[in-house]
Amino acid sequence: MNPAVACPEILRADATAIDPITVEVLGSAFASIAEEMGEALVRASYSTNIKERRDCSTALFDTAGNTLCQAEHIPMHLGSFIGILPHILKRHPEVGIKPGDVFVGNDAYEGGGTHLPDIVLAEPIFFEGRMVAWAVNLAHHADFADRGHAHIYQEGLRIPPIRLYRAGVLQEDVQELILLNCQVPRERLSDLRAQMAANRLGVQRMQALAARYGLGTVLAAGAALQNYAERKMRAGIAAIPDGTHRFADRFDCPELDGELDFAVTITVAGEEMHLHFDSPPQVRAGINLVFTALLSTVYYAVKTVVDPTILPNAGLARPIHVTAPAGTVLHCVHPAAVNGRTGTCQRVVDLIHGALAKAVPERVIAACNGAVTSATFVGTRPEDGSPEGGHLWVYLETIGGGSGARATKDGLDGVHVHVTNTSNLPVEALEGEYPLSVLRYELVNGSGGAGRRRGGMGLRRVYRAEAECRLRLDGSRLRSAPWGLAGGLPGGKGEFRFGPGVGPFEHGSGALKAGDIVEIITPGSGGYGPPEERTAEERARDSAEERFATAAAAAAE
Amino acid sequence: MTWRIGVDSGGTFTDISLFETETGRMEVWKVPSTPADPSHGIAASVSESLSRLGAEAVEIVSFGHGTTVSTNALIQGRGVLTGLITTEGFRDLLEIGRQKRPDLYDLQADKPPALVSRDLRLEVPERVRHDGGVETRLDEDAVRQAIRRLRKKGVKAVAIAFLYGFVRPAHEVIARRILAEEFPEAFASIGHEVAPEFREYERLSTTVVNATLGPVMQGYIERLAGRLKEIGISAKPHLTQSNGGVIGFDAAARLPVRTVLSGPSTGVVAAEAVGRLAGFTDLITFDMGGTSTDVALLEGGRCRLTSEATVHGYPIKAPMLDIHTVGAGGGSVAYIDSGGLLKVGPESAGADPGPVCYARGSAEPTVTDANVVLQTLNPTHLLGGRMPVRQDLAERAIARLAGRLGMDLHATAEGILAVVTANMAKAIRVISVQRGYDPRDYILVAFGGAGPLHAARLARELEIRRILVPRNPGILCAMGLLLTDLRADFAATHLLPLGPASLGEMAAIFTRLDAEAAAWFAEEGVAAAARRVERTVDLRYAGQNYELSVPLADGPPGSGWITHLAEGFARAHERTYGFAAAEEPVQMVTFRVQATGAVKKAELRPEPPAEAGVCASATGERKVWLSEIRGFVTCPIYDREILRPGNRIDGPAVIEQMDATTMVPSGMRASVDPIRNLLLEAA
Repeated sequence: MNPAVACPEILRADATAIDPITVEVLGSAFASIAEEMGEALVRASYSTNIKERRDCSTALFDTAGNTLCQAEHIPMHLGSFIGILPHILKRHPEVGIKPGDVFVGNDAYEGGGTHLPDIVLAEPIFFEGRMVAWAVNLAHHADFADRGHAHIYQEGLRIPPIRLYRAGVLQEDVQELILLNCQVPRERLSDLRAQMAANRLGVQRMQALAARYGLGTVLAAGAALQNYAERKMRAGIAAIPDGTHRFADRFDCPELDGELDFAVTITVAGEEMHLHFDSPPQVRAGINLVFTALLSTVYYAVKTVVDPTILPNAGLARPIHVTAPAGTVLHCVHPAAVNGRTGTCQRVVDLIHGALAKAVPERVIAACNGAVTSATFVGTRPEDGSPEGGHLWVYLETIGGGSGARATKDGLDGVHVHVTNTSNLPVEALEGEYPLSVLRYELVNGSGGAGRRRGGMGLRRVYRAEAECRLRLDGSRLRSAPWGLAGGLPGGKGEFRFGPGVGPFEHGSGALKAGDIVEIITPGSGGYGPPEERTAEERARDSAEERFATAAAAAAE
Repeated sequence: MTWRIGVDSGGTFTDISLFETETGRMEVWKVPSTPADPSHGIAASVSESLSRLGAEAVEIVSFGHGTTVSTNALIQGRGVLTGLITTEGFRDLLEIGRQKRPDLYDLQADKPPALVSRDLRLEVPERVRHDGGVETRLDEDAVRQAIRRLRKKGVKAVAIAFLYGFVRPAHEVIARRILAEEFPEAFASIGHEVAPEFREYERLSTTVVNATLGPVMQGYIERLAGRLKEIGISAKPHLTQSNGGVIGFDAAARLPVRTVLSGPSTGVVAAEAVGRLAGFTDLITFDMGGTSTDVALLEGGRCRLTSEATVHGYPIKAPMLDIHTVGAGGGSVAYIDSGGLLKVGPESAGADPGPVCYARGSAEPTVTDANVVLQTLNPTHLLGGRMPVRQDLAERAIARLAGRLGMDLHATAEGILAVVTANMAKAIRVISVQRGYDPRDYILVAFGGAGPLHAARLARELEIRRILVPRNPGILCAMGLLLTDLRADFAATHLLPLGPASLGEMAAIFTRLDAEAAAWFAEEGVAAAARRVERTVDLRYAGQNYELSVPLADGPPGSGWITHLAEGFARAHERTYGFAAAEEPVQMVTFRVQATGAVKKAELRPEPPAEAGVCASATGERKVWLSEIRGFVTCPIYDREILRPGNRIDGPAVIEQMDATTMVPSGMRASVDPIRNLLLEAA
């Protein structure tokens, strides 16, 4: 943090000067504010990716860049915020930041982001003339579509943290530069406006809170809440037996011709945990992770096993140490491409869960579908005289799959897992808005791995293009299957199928004509425990409900 | 003599409220419920209360009822075996939902079970396009086969919901006809009839919930109606819906999904009525019970209606009062979590074993125990002396927490109340601040067993200046049933641009909805003079996906409709989201008609000011903890039953009555109004 802070005696939050009850009371108030910002963002936005799929998150930060509180709709965003404020403060001396300034940024290397479509807006919160905190939100703009991924310069416009508003005045030049580089500028403009509104709420609410409780108390509560999250994380890690565990897995996706080998070594020692990741040198594909993306994935995965109730603030990271050689896929450096990072993150979660299964098998679940299966359609609206006529349209959707079987319960069918959790778009909303039809949307029989507890089932979604467009498909576990635990069998793999006359598709990308049909099958997930331990009654139910159709299940019958 | 009767039936207690229309006499009873068949307990206690009053069943002119039958059936999975017939390719939509998992981080969390198992979800070939065009005609033979199969499987209810059924219901209409031919005894729940609005999963879920609850609710209503007839009640019974209005038993049995929030809605309506009689229309209701608390905001006497909510994990599209519930109440347990912070709830000690101070074996301190330790609650007995209280046990339990927090006993008890108050304040912020309303402009109406005790703390937290405590806070819901109008909601979804070009279609849509309302008025026997119809339109900027509801201007179709809607929408958007986009086109989505049939309601008669001073009600004094000074002060104790209109009590003071305790902090004054509400405001 800049040492020339205006009034350090006020801003130095003293976490010990506050009782645990006031901390809890103010924690509630922080959570209210972040949630309210999130609701405002979702409801006022225009693009389907935010308004229906809620691919956005909101947060409050202290002036040192630590998360005070966040309302994340997607765990991937847990750490996507981590790098933002340091990058803003590196570029902009704090003394020059004024009330009403709003910073915009997205860059993975200079902006603290994890991929370019996640555009962040950050607004400083001033109270009695001093900067006391930040309101920040991040929204995934479904834009920068149909681009190359050899390096980040192909992936979209790189925005370092710069002022979109200066003392409350919109910097139209900046906005125009951004919008011209977007394929659907009208949506971008409206979504940016919703992001502005969300931060404004955060600013007002925090100012009201400081006026009511006193600034010192509010800041002290922020510091105490971080200590609190740290204590819970430490208590949770301490309950895991000490030891070192290694786990390896493979990663594939349509962009790659082969598979990549990843491995983790986790050392649990007392109340701290160290995770070291090995992976190949970074590749010319959009699957590399910047270090903050790796961190956020680690925090997610460890939190699920240690204690899912730990508050999502900066304190939870303190007992967790992460290393990975720079220049590798899991810790890439400029100019590696990063757009499709979430698929890679899903495999990182598999690694961590696989390793921790050796220490606490009952708390870990079998491998989930291990992918963020997605379809991105890009086309041009017909010139029909409407305001949209002749403009590009971009539609992104991600499709869930199986969630791994638990020690005592079957896995969940057809859900988003781990680092993502976006809603689907209702067919009745999709078909009215884009020239696409959804012909089927169902669970895939036999895709849940057999076991004492069955793995969750993957999804099948069948589209028909109603007009010419381009389609980019992404996914993983197309070559390897999600593994089972404790004798459970693997789940089904993912697959893309094309109707007659469609294609050709190369590395997941191709053109569609009106009437073309594409079928996406997402992976299922692993089972837990030996299949022969499934009771006769449960098997009868599986059979009546057509949950299984695979040879593996038949063999277990 | 004629009597109006209200019966609010919950899982533990059934409250009965009787009002004699000529003399204004009001009587209230609280009796244990009979959960196995609630109609049994209701009929028995109604006849018992009548005989105690020396009244005859034929003298009852109105019977209003609020029930948790449908809610409980949904929570406990006691709906009937149900089949589903839906569009080919989409039978799993019921299970997939929005493809989100139930918790971001908890790997053990589960979705609520699908209400129709996969083998009873059958697909038939048919497909309607988003513009209403038919791509694939309905295969009627397939429908017939599917219905026969479901019949063979022994289902009791059949849900029929197709994609775009709200745009072009023709296929659902045909399927319903075939169902009537093949399987007339099944309860039929049809998508476009239950929830004619867009978003297929939510409509499907609503249709299925309606189907599984249908026979349960029908059975209950038939039994209750039969028993009421047996004891000689000839008045037509009515039931509260989630929208706060009451409807006849027949209509309620057809659309049981509209009664899932019957219980909490009744409380909001009662608070509205009490507020209106006391002269207040801008209210925040605060209904704090043993395990949960319901809050709602009323502006101008109206509670916002929401058209969709998730009830116990199931999305439901039905008109519902915008009520927010938190899992915190008097029985909520306080504990220290692994990070060392004090937490309260959502675990509750319930009625049994109850708080530690009940001495029924529980050692987990609750909010009630904190109040007993601080003597804001009577430290020796509750419920007018019927429930002995062990303060020493409560102290011991809270002292254990205090030791671990490194705080003293009373600061810890105070902390429990501060934490639970923060939870309540958060709930109220959701329905006020988050919707663009400033809670400081509202009166807090406190009821439920624990509401009046915590109201002043909560008001201070939210900077609310006035609190209204109704005369019988513990049984307000039953009283509300004496004060409620008949109400039904009708809706249709049509995407239309907001502009003069749409006027023709708008007029046609409202004509259809008005006709539906008229048919309902006729069915309920509402006289022409008592009918009221309000029209609203849900609007959004073209491209958004969430709508804001704006009232339609009175008068015939014309440009006035359009400008009024445009201005109202811009205001609502500014209020809710902090901006309005004047240049953006606005879209109309859902058209709504709310039909209200005014009924003769209980009129609470104002009483003349008291002759006796407030001293007559003083029953003693005790030391009571005051959070504002963080210490004990000797406070006078008053008996609410003896207080009369015009009496005034300056805080600090405690006012006790059988079903609740009201805390008046220092700096506030409680005055008794002519209908014996307590109004607390700055002294």
